[in-house]
Amino acid sequence: MSGRPAPRVSMRGIVKIYPDGTVALRGVNLDVYPGEILGLLGENGAGKTTLMKILAGFLRPTAGRIIYEGHPVHFRSAAEALERGIGMVHQHLALVPVFTAYENIILGLPPSIIAGARKRIEKLMDETGLHVDLDQIVELLSFGERQRVEILRMLFRNVKVLILDEPTTNLTPVETEELFKALVKLKKQGKSIIFITHKLREVLEIADRIVVMRRGRVVGEVPRSVAEPRLLARMMVGREVLFKIEKPRTTPGQVVLKVEDLWVRRDIGTWGVKGVSFEVREGEIFGVAGVEGNGQAELVEAITGLRAPERGKIFLLGRDITGLGPAELYRMGLAHIPEDRRGTGLVLEMSVVENSILGMHRWERFAKGFFGVIDWRAAEEHAAEIVRKYDVVAPGLHSPVKHLSGGNQQKLLVGREISKNPKLIVAAQPTRGLDVAATEYIRRLLVRLRNEGHAVLLVSSDTDEVLQLSDRVAIMYKGEFVAITRPEELSREKLGLYMGGAAATA
Amino acid sequence: MEALLRFGESIVALIIGLAIGAVILYYAGYSPWEAYYQLFYNAVLDKYGFARSLAEAAPLILTGITFAVGVRAGLFNIGAEGQLYFGALGAAIVAWLAYRMPVLNSPLGTIAAYALGVILASLLALIAAVLKVWRGVHEVVSTIMLNWIAFWIVEFMRIHYLFDPHDATKTIPVPPGARLPILLPDSELSATIIVSVGFALLTYYLLWYTVTGYELRASGLSPKAARYAGMDPNKSIIIAFIVGGVAAGLAGAGEVLGRPPHYAITSGLSNLLNMGFDGITVALIGANHPIGVIFAGILLGVLKSGASYMQIFAGVPLEMVRIIEGIIVIALAVPGTLHMVREYLQRRKKLTQLREQEAGKSHGFEGSGLQPSGAQQQ
Repeated sequence: MSGRPAPRVSMRGIVKIYPDGTVALRGVNLDVYPGEILGLLGENGAGKTTLMKILAGFLRPTAGRIIYEGHPVHFRSAAEALERGIGMVHQHLALVPVFTAYENIILGLPPSIIAGARKRIEKLMDETGLHVDLDQIVELLSFGERQRVEILRMLFRNVKVLILDEPTTNLTPVETEELFKALVKLKKQGKSIIFITHKLREVLEIADRIVVMRRGRVVGEVPRSVAEPRLLARMMVGREVLFKIEKPRTTPGQVVLKVEDLWVRRDIGTWGVKGVSFEVREGEIFGVAGVEGNGQAELVEAITGLRAPERGKIFLLGRDITGLGPAELYRMGLAHIPEDRRGTGLVLEMSVVENSILGMHRWERFAKGFFGVIDWRAAEEHAAEIVRKYDVVAPGLHSPVKHLSGGNQQKLLVGREISKNPKLIVAAQPTRGLDVAATEYIRRLLVRLRNEGHAVLLVSSDTDEVLQLSDRVAIMYKGEFVAITRPEELSREKLGLYMGGAAATA
Repeated sequence: MEALLRFGESIVALIIGLAIGAVILYYAGYSPWEAYYQLFYNAVLDKYGFARSLAEAAPLILTGITFAVGVRAGLFNIGAEGQLYFGALGAAIVAWLAYRMPVLNSPLGTIAAYALGVILASLLALIAAVLKVWRGVHEVVSTIMLNWIAFWIVEFMRIHYLFDPHDATKTIPVPPGARLPILLPDSELSATIIVSVGFALLTYYLLWYTVTGYELRASGLSPKAARYAGMDPNKSIIIAFIVGGVAAGLAGAGEVLGRPPHYAITSGLSNLLNMGFDGITVALIGANHPIGVIFAGILLGVLKSGASYMQIFAGVPLEMVRIIEGIIVIALAVPGTLHMVREYLQRRKKLTQLREQEAGKSHGFEGSGLQPSGAQQQ
């Protein structure tokens, strides 16, 4: 590491142990230089966000020191770090929804600085290309625009170090491109930008230097010039990732799910799903792609009996199931892997055994007699079988599910759903937040289920996942399917256009 | 395992509460040793004293169940107080009827009294349930209001209809034939304690061995997951209110049917007051678990009966016991604090371990960490 200017930030031996004893960082060293974009790459749970939260003053390290511009610093709060020039834009944005963009940017600043702020913000927007309507209420802005407001907020405070945590997760391809352009401009102004991500493609596109983290350690550092996807992936996961999942040809059988002109309202009364029709057959994975919030959640809820549709019909194996509740649907052959596994798919405080019968607890197998006495022995056997079949690592059958890792929670959930012996499996964001190994496991499982003749409805905002697994793909935009096609016929570019709604108007 | 740990925590809280109480007693000019000796010797080791402790415990176990079942369903049901009044009212009405219908001067009257008490108490609980499910009224607000409504309805009934012509400060007592049997001759202990423990065990069975209980607990922990699993969380809310109402109704009716010397409701409901609210304490000490509630109820019964012995033999005012009770409840929060200290120490230990581990590696703790290193199992 010679021939470089002195680092702006030097983190040395950073250790973070959370109150519950989880070791998040095991002695991490990291340097950040002026005028660079540093890609911080790693799987979920590698410690990227924790490390950056420590730098930005949100968390305090258990051990280790931070040297910033030549001086050791101990930030007691995020406000203090921000004052010194280190700002972080979180994955979940922290803006006041009922304030305008302008008000959010100047929020908390003394009047002396606010004077003439508007002009300077407009100048900042011109310089970076990050334009937003300053007088619009943040609530009414798109996610991408809100993110710009956050970045402008940081820039207006003259940050020298700008940390972005998974900034592209909810952006359309076009918005991502614009963000990247702005970041390059900021870099040229001498800012240090730290870009947290788990997407290989993105770091390769934008970072000057890539630092890979795994299990609380920095496992490698690579300049972009020599970076190569397979190498990075290997560092990230610690083994060769099998990106390819074998998918033998199948001939789809009879129609399992049929949806006809479905209209579903959101909680707030506006339309979430606007006249969607499709079919899913035996031995087929039907993927629904799209940026989140375009009606996928409402579509899934309507099909799984959690939300009554306003109009239209849903058929399961030829029977009209419109308006039926989850209990009836499970008996008829539905399995539902919900988006929010921790809050919806499992009861975290309950044991593995208790969770293994959730949704099936009234079935004759487990509930005996008129009073519905639970046969705990049958439930235990059932849980043990799921644990064995799906390699669920749990401290014990009677320990609460909250003590399981995310991957094992999902395996338990998926195992339980499959044990319902379903005809149709509805999987919403089935691999979100899982590590690579668990992701691969779940994806292979879905393909296996398809090969065995199940019908799978896969809803995911992970485009790679949808393209890789699906036999047919629908792209959802503003409550409608803008296209239904085969994944082979869909280039990444075309998909991006569909997702951004561009193709709908073209 | 976790239940055992929770039990241990309650014991620790009890010891802390007694220790702090001792300090207060000492500075107030009493001998803590003498006070506690009188309290526990008389309320636990003496046969008649312990019988009285159990008699005190009987209604508290039931009102503890009311609160505990509510918590399991995700509710903060503090309506046991009013529901208990209604339970007592039901029994008092049957006692009044028994003077006109001699057939009720028999176990038939006992059953009728329990039945009417339970029905009235459940109906009162049902008002809160319906308000919650249909209109989203928070149960704390509705139950606290209903407690007062119940209080004045029962007072009204006592003064105007159910009064004892021989002693207008109470309702007509339950006739001897309909009273609950006394378990220990010449003591206050009647079969109410059997009803209480029996109902607590029944609740335990309901919660952990039936589909209804499973749904109730799941709904309480995660209404979203409950709906996903095809349950109706509102149904669980209504069931929890009714089970709680039945428990409080049994408690109130039992106090009239099986508590010498009155076998009636006394002026200002003075023989019923606070039994419902004490149930909240019992539930908290008992970790909202029916079995824990039985033991916690007995503990509070001991403190209550012991308090009077402490007053008589050690000269310590009754209020002192209330103070100790309060400290025990506060001390129950202490395990949480202990937990935090333990976690902090564990974290320190882990850190030193980590340093040793990493120091053993080639690149050292402050090394560049460039080469991939074997992942440590946590």
